[in-house]
Amino acid sequence: MNLSEFNRVLRQVFLLPVIALLITAGALYLQVRGSNDTVRLIQNTDATIAQAALVGKLIADQESGLRGYQATHDDRFLSEFHQVEGSIQSELENLDLAIQADEDQRGNIEDLRNEYQNWHDAFALPIMATVRAGGTANDVTLNLYGKTLMDQVRQDVAAITRRAEKVRSARIEQWQHQVHNMIEALIAIALGMGVLIGLFTRSRLKSVSSAYRSSLEVLSRRAEELYQSEQKLRTTLVSIGDGVITCDADGRIQLMNPVACELTGWGQIEASYRMLEDVFRIVNQKTGEPVETPVAKVKRLRTVVGVGYDTALIRKDGSRILIADSGAPIRDQTDAIVGIVLVFRDITLERRTQETLLSNEKLAVAGRLAATIAHEIHNPLDAVSNLLYLMRTGATEEESKQFIEMAESELARVTQISRAMLGLYRESRAPVPVDLKEILEDILLLMEHRFHELNVSIETDLPSSVKVKAFPAELRQVFTNLVSNAAEASSPGGKIRIGAHTQIANGSANSGAVVFIQDNGAGIAEEARTQLFRPFFTTKGEQGTGLGLWVSRGIISKHGGSIEISSETDPAAHGTIVTVFLPEQPVIGTVSLPAPN
Amino acid sequence: MTQNGPLVLCIDDELVGLKVRKILLERVGYHVITAMDGASGISLFEKEPVDAVVLDYSMPGMHGGEVAVRLRRLKPHIPILLLSAYVGLPQDVTSLVDLYMTKGEGAPVLLEKLGRLLQQPVATP
Repeated sequence: MNLSEFNRVLRQVFLLPVIALLITAGALYLQVRGSNDTVRLIQNTDATIAQAALVGKLIADQESGLRGYQATHDDRFLSEFHQVEGSIQSELENLDLAIQADEDQRGNIEDLRNEYQNWHDAFALPIMATVRAGGTANDVTLNLYGKTLMDQVRQDVAAITRRAEKVRSARIEQWQHQVHNMIEALIAIALGMGVLIGLFTRSRLKSVSSAYRSSLEVLSRRAEELYQSEQKLRTTLVSIGDGVITCDADGRIQLMNPVACELTGWGQIEASYRMLEDVFRIVNQKTGEPVETPVAKVKRLRTVVGVGYDTALIRKDGSRILIADSGAPIRDQTDAIVGIVLVFRDITLERRTQETLLSNEKLAVAGRLAATIAHEIHNPLDAVSNLLYLMRTGATEEESKQFIEMAESELARVTQISRAMLGLYRESRAPVPVDLKEILEDILLLMEHRFHELNVSIETDLPSSVKVKAFPAELRQVFTNLVSNAAEASSPGGKIRIGAHTQIANGSANSGAVVFIQDNGAGIAEEARTQLFRPFFTTKGEQGTGLGLWVSRGIISKHGGSIEISSETDPAAHGTIVTVFLPEQPVIGTVSLPAPN
Repeated sequence: MTQNGPLVLCIDDELVGLKVRKILLERVGYHVITAMDGASGISLFEKEPVDAVVLDYSMPGMHGGEVAVRLRRLKPHIPILLLSAYVGLPQDVTSLVDLYMTKGEGAPVLLEKLGRLLQQPVATP
């Protein structure tokens, strides 16, 4: 049952009694009107009886006046007689009007009229005439005659009264009957309506109650499901290896899982309803500047956010740990943000491992160069020591001069090599102006022997200085990696082209230097291309650390530059080109290492 | 300096080193011919009546180990002295040659070892 059905039932339950009462009231009205008519008829009958009594009284008054006159001969006794004579006709008329439809009474009235007229004309008037003429009217016969006539009149009045009373009692009986009927009808209607309303309401309420019951069942099922789902989520939250904090839309903490408690140093209960920034205090590890809380950031950007690379969490006891974290909005059905969930983890160890990996890779690069360096140093040393031996064991002046020149040039080579090697390690703290041409030439010098060994030839395109601000030792590491990759890929008999040039663009971000290293090796298989920059991915088997390109990309990203590799395995035109772009000024502060994905 | 001294073939890709080594050996009485890479060294070795070979290990194309294998195949009895800028050459390479030494050990060591190989007294200047 939905809400509109429920409302319909409510309307029905409300309207039905109203309609039933209206019908009852209508029936009652009809009944009352019927009995009112009867009561009016009874009143009419009462009026008839009263009128008959009045006419009887008037006639009696006339008779007694006449008797007085008859006895005293005094005209004053006749005053009432004459008074009645004036009104009797109209009173008779009134009586006639009062009985109206009753045929029997009409006859009675006619009789009364006649009998009265008879008494008046045949007895009263002659008696009066006789008395006025001075005669006596004591004759018994005459008076008996008058009495007979008057008795007739009285009988007529009594008949009218009787008849009227009879009608009246019949009407009263009818009225009583009507009232009785009315009561019965009322009881019947009330009972009927009551039963009807009861049955109807019962059926409606039954459907409402079954709907209510099923709603209750659904609700309790939902509640159970909700409870289970909450339990699942809670268990997930508790068992998860990352710290999780949920906040309401204002940034007040609602929930922290055990890992979050451990990482922040705050207990779940003491942290509840505190503002997130009180518990989750984050700063930039390097600058110590506070970092915008994820809650503020999520509210500002209304999307999933992460924190910067060097974010440190200040724990309750004041110690710091490096963290990686992300915040995501929790939305309701209208897409409004009702909360924020924060997931974070301790990456201190991870960062240390990463740093170890980085220095390992640096060592690996040096290791790869070690043989070359030993060779490059031992060869000139050998020549110099032989030259010294020759000079010591006797040489002409001319020979000595020649030997010294040769020894000097060999020593210059050693110096150059050792300087190039040192450049790999000596790192400045801030970017300094460097000449990429110089760096590349140094590297080529260091690797000269390696190229010999691998039997690859080098062609350079380094027409002039290419200057950018950078960390030179890191760039040496990158280019050593890239050049040795190219040499190994194209050995034996391959050819490597190395070039660098300045790029001038409108925006300062696009101005800088482009370095390319191209080889004509077999090319990189397509399935390997996507993985080139992943840590520990190597195509060199035991020989490779799988860190070279990963670290190189990290270094180039730190400089705000980019590194791209395009490769072709087509037998007709195979080879690989690595292009590195370095901006004039490195954009410091960007992520220096891509997370291992 | 005698033209009849033993004929030594020096193979090295390092031009200066090779030149100095030639002068050094010639001064103590060896007759010296040189080659800048393995392939030309092998062909000289094949043509000339070489008495001993001073061979550099690290060379482009063919390294000293490979060159030694070829030389052994051609004339197994000719002694080979292997020079290397590296310390610790692989066992299979050192077992191929009669003697090996690291570059930079100095001229007297070279002369002594070569002399020992040729089993003749080394003329001292």
